[in-house]
Amino acid sequence: MDTDDGREREAEAGNAAPVALSRPARWIVALGALAVALAAGTHLLIMFLHVAPPNTVSKQHAATIGDYVLPEYEQNWKFFAPNPLQQNIAVQVRAQVTRPDGEVQVTPWTDLSAQDGAAILHNPLPSHAQQNQLRRAWDFYGNTHDDRGRSTGLRGDLAEDYLRRLAVSRLNLDRDGTRLHRVQLRSVTTSVAPPAWAGQQPPAKPVHRELDWWRVTPSDLGVVRSW
Amino acid sequence: MSVATWRGSCAAAFARVTSASLGPYQTAAIRIGLSFTWLFFLVREWFNSQELYGPDAPWSWELARRLIADNHAFTVLVWSGAGWWFKLVYLFAMVSALLFMLGWRTRTTSVLYMIGVLSLQNRSVFVGDGGDNVLHLMAIYTVFTRCGEVWSLDARRAARRGAAARRGAAGRGAEGRSAAARGAAGDPRRDVTGIVLWAVCGAGLLAATLLADPALTWTDHGPVPGVGWAAALWAVWLLHGVWWLVRVRGAALAGGQVRAVLAAFGHLLHNAALLVIMGEVCLIYGAAGWYKIQGSLWQDGTALYYPLHLDYFSPWPALSHALAASGVVVLLLSYGTVAAQAAFPFTLLNRRVKNVLLVLMMFEHLGIAVLLGLPFFSLVMIFVDAVFLPTSWLRRGGELVAGRARWVAERVPVGVPGQRGVGGADADAGANAGTGAASDAGPDPGRGPGRDRVRAG
Repeated sequence: MDTDDGREREAEAGNAAPVALSRPARWIVALGALAVALAAGTHLLIMFLHVAPPNTVSKQHAATIGDYVLPEYEQNWKFFAPNPLQQNIAVQVRAQVTRPDGEVQVTPWTDLSAQDGAAILHNPLPSHAQQNQLRRAWDFYGNTHDDRGRSTGLRGDLAEDYLRRLAVSRLNLDRDGTRLHRVQLRSVTTSVAPPAWAGQQPPAKPVHRELDWWRVTPSDLGVVRSW
Repeated sequence: MSVATWRGSCAAAFARVTSASLGPYQTAAIRIGLSFTWLFFLVREWFNSQELYGPDAPWSWELARRLIADNHAFTVLVWSGAGWWFKLVYLFAMVSALLFMLGWRTRTTSVLYMIGVLSLQNRSVFVGDGGDNVLHLMAIYTVFTRCGEVWSLDARRAARRGAAARRGAAGRGAEGRSAAARGAAGDPRRDVTGIVLWAVCGAGLLAATLLADPALTWTDHGPVPGVGWAAALWAVWLLHGVWWLVRVRGAALAGGQVRAVLAAFGHLLHNAALLVIMGEVCLIYGAAGWYKIQGSLWQDGTALYYPLHLDYFSPWPALSHALAASGVVVLLLSYGTVAAQAAFPFTLLNRRVKNVLLVLMMFEHLGIAVLLGLPFFSLVMIFVDAVFLPTSWLRRGGELVAGRARWVAERVPVGVPGQRGVGGADADAGANAGTGAASDAGPDPGRGPGRDRVRAG
């Protein structure tokens, strides 16, 4: 690969090595060059195998590649691929609270994604707190739970705690004497209407996915409030 | 190609990569661009920083610790859940980005910058996007580069030292000789700032090695298998010390051979890292194109219609919908994106095609910045694209910026800021002029125009 800099730099390059290298020094530099080239080549090869679709070689050496790549070189360049997301996923939350007068109530659903959308609208610099936090937390939950909502491991448990705290942070209900007991989340997935010229079916009705009620812990109440 | 020419070109390539750090302008562009983007991001998120990375964030310090106990990512933020520690690290990330951008002690600040980037991003991996991912990788790679050779405070200091040495060499007598001595030895031995910085970094690293919990590891969970972060960071610190020693005693050590070998290794590492950076950019585009080709919507040319209708990626819905209303526009943009991304690595074989495509890519990212509301991601991609820009373009761009800066500097009066707009100061200056007692009026009133006159003459 050409850096386009060769010609202009040649004059300056001369002052870098004023001393003629002795034979052992030349050997050391040659061996070093070999080692550095091997290291760079290996690194790029492993990055390629990590980024490419699972294939004969990468499946055989999955453990080695994972060991090298995680956690610092993890990467994913499937921007809107193979197919872009075709749904707007709205994450909504409701809560069971005790009002100051002692009445126990279930609040109506609050659309947290709509709050994000409102913050992003006409904003030239959307914040990660609005564009990524909830959206990716919901993905994280989906990736670490089976269809019946059972956690598939450590990350699943973390995802539940994360979503619950996020809900408490966004609801901000436990003030003025109101006590927050439990929260419930759901997603409402609406398909984007296909383009008029495509001649496809109009989208089906929104799909709801409701999670269990989760008890709010005292430490959840210490979460940073976002509004 | 005959064997002789093949051997000849191998030898030439070997000489080239061991005797010069290639692409000084390209690596400087990456350094400035990426650290600027990171700093800009940190400033923008200042009021959201507690929500994103703070100890009581939804992704709390405890949750982060539980995840990091499992994936062993590097972040100094897990060492303490105290509020002051978080604020300190956030400020540290900002200051290190600023210094790295300016090119102050670049080899040291590149490491500090990397620590800042990794610490914040690994603390809350679930708030990042593709832009953060690229910043993360490049922060590690730039540590190996000499990205402060041009467009940096380091370069300015080196130029001044060189000028002083030349003045000394040209001068006669005792004065000339002492100036020469200053120029030549004004470097390592009397470089108090450098020595202090190195000592402070060593002390910080020592404290981290002794006190950090979870502890810095020596042989695992580091940047590469078998090397822990403690080993990596101590190695970098020791190398800095050794390099200083070699610069001080360079000529005495085996007739300058040690110094020459170390210099060659510096060039080698830089050039390898540059290659890795370029390869990484090719991987990004290559993979993005490759995966898209497999998608049915990219094949029928409607793919781009959908992101333009997602609430999270349409800050300007009227604009997005207007663009998505035309089937032909969506088709051309969808096909164009796939073609450009999949073709990118191969266009590097032809200089002219590569340059055309680079410009196209940069404009596409500008479009993404606005249309999809991804300004930080787009900035990152534009700056990593810059690694493939021709040196002549970059130099011209640099001169243009410098010219603008000079133009501004010539019109901004030097001195105490604010004096001009204050009525009292103007009145005082006027009174002084009237009474002929201008000499104590302060430096500014006469100085701005004076400078202009000098330049005009």
